[in-house]
Amino acid sequence: MNKGKIVSIHSFRGGTGKSNTTANLAAQVALAGKRVGVVDTDIQSPGIHVLFGLDENKMGKTMNDFLHGKASIREIGYSIGEHASGGEGREKLAGKNLWLFPSSIRGREISQILKEGVDFNLLNEGLQKTITEFDLDYLFIDTHPGLNEETLLSIATSDILIIILRPDNQDLQGTSVTVDIARSLDVPNLLLMVNKALPKYDFAELKKEIEVKFDAPVTGVLPLSFDLADNASNDLFSLRFPDHEWSKALRGVAEAVLAVE
Amino acid sequence: MKSDVLNQLQKTTIFKNVTDEVLADVAIKASTRKLVKDEVLMRKGETGDSLFMIHDGWVKIVTEDSKGDELILNKCGPGETIGEMALLDGIPRSATVIAISDAEVLELKKDVFEEILEQRSDVSFAIIRSYSERLRFATTYIEKAIDWSQKTAEGDYSFAEQTQPLMDSAGSDNDKATQLLSAFYAMVRKVKAREDGLKQQLERLTFEIDQARRKQEFEEITGTEFYANLKEQARALRQKRAQE
Repeated sequence: MNKGKIVSIHSFRGGTGKSNTTANLAAQVALAGKRVGVVDTDIQSPGIHVLFGLDENKMGKTMNDFLHGKASIREIGYSIGEHASGGEGREKLAGKNLWLFPSSIRGREISQILKEGVDFNLLNEGLQKTITEFDLDYLFIDTHPGLNEETLLSIATSDILIIILRPDNQDLQGTSVTVDIARSLDVPNLLLMVNKALPKYDFAELKKEIEVKFDAPVTGVLPLSFDLADNASNDLFSLRFPDHEWSKALRGVAEAVLAVE
Repeated sequence: MKSDVLNQLQKTTIFKNVTDEVLADVAIKASTRKLVKDEVLMRKGETGDSLFMIHDGWVKIVTEDSKGDELILNKCGPGETIGEMALLDGIPRSATVIAISDAEVLELKKDVFEEILEQRSDVSFAIIRSYSERLRFATTYIEKAIDWSQKTAEGDYSFAEQTQPLMDSAGSDNDKATQLLSAFYAMVRKVKAREDGLKQQLERLTFEIDQARRKQEFEEITGTEFYANLKEQARALRQKRAQE
């Protein structure tokens, strides 16, 4: 039986464009006709729900309520396909099978997680149940930057781990540790994605060098883009501007995810 | 003095195939002209009707850049010849020549030269042959320049390392085609050096992983009881998934 895949998106430091990438990747995979879920665990950056146009005040129960048995997963899943509005890009998701599973967003709940904790089996069972209930092909997890315990749990349960890095020394250093951890935890598919690459670099050369360095495929080198920064969190950039270089490279990453057996 | 003139004529490209006997005759008809420092020998745009051979002292060949400032193209000294083409084509001078020291030049007038050509058909043929050789030489280099331009556009700079460019000091026979190719080589090498510099910058970025720190951070994370349990649970999970 071929169940849905858990895809964790991680970066060692903040500011790599991780949430934006996760939202756009999930949207692209949903556009390709797959059934997709997105779990937002990066509670530090008010993130992914904004990109999908979901108002915080509309969010009731969260993933943590579900994991602790206080809510059913059906109560948590928010259908993006049914609420695709407020942006030219977002509107393209109308009718698509894409759900957002918000994690904690309010301070009260953050302390609650720290107190109660989430163990591996609880998280894994919860994610598997989410996949089964919604018949998902892919469940994307937007993780915290860094390697705290919750992130390690996400990595350990992943079928695919995508590490996003910027081409600078600090990100490369941090990525080297994450790569070692992913291998230590037997993650079957490790994919790298370079974001915010300055156009002065030879992207093909950059890709080759990083692949050799980490012995893992670089699925895309995405340029630093002021257009993307301008768009900020207003819309899903790759859907709104499909011909932009950033969007083209992002689709390459989505294709790499779809190609994993 | 006249033997010096003969010597110099022998080295001049267009006289390459002319016999010494005829050149001795030409040498006799050349006149001497003295220049004081800063005196203008010829001006850009003037009709060219003589060839000059520098016997003593130095001159500069200048033009103006786009802002109207003087741009020195070359400096010529004893043994060098200026304006040889003007003897045949009579086209206006392409640059101005100014003495940068007191100098003595020998001048061969166009009408004197033409008189010789009229009298001696063998001399005409010898000169035509010289021009033909020169043209063939230039064409060969133009073909090479085209080939190298295409290679450069493709990022293949190997020719600049393999072939040694001909870089004479600026003598009278120093062909402009050779100068062009020397400049071409210099350009390609500079382009390559800049490119290498950029590549090195990239390599520096990607080759600075501190392996000791990497190992230390890895051990800090994996050395906990939490991690040992997680690793065990993850392994069990993956085995279970593989069996499904």
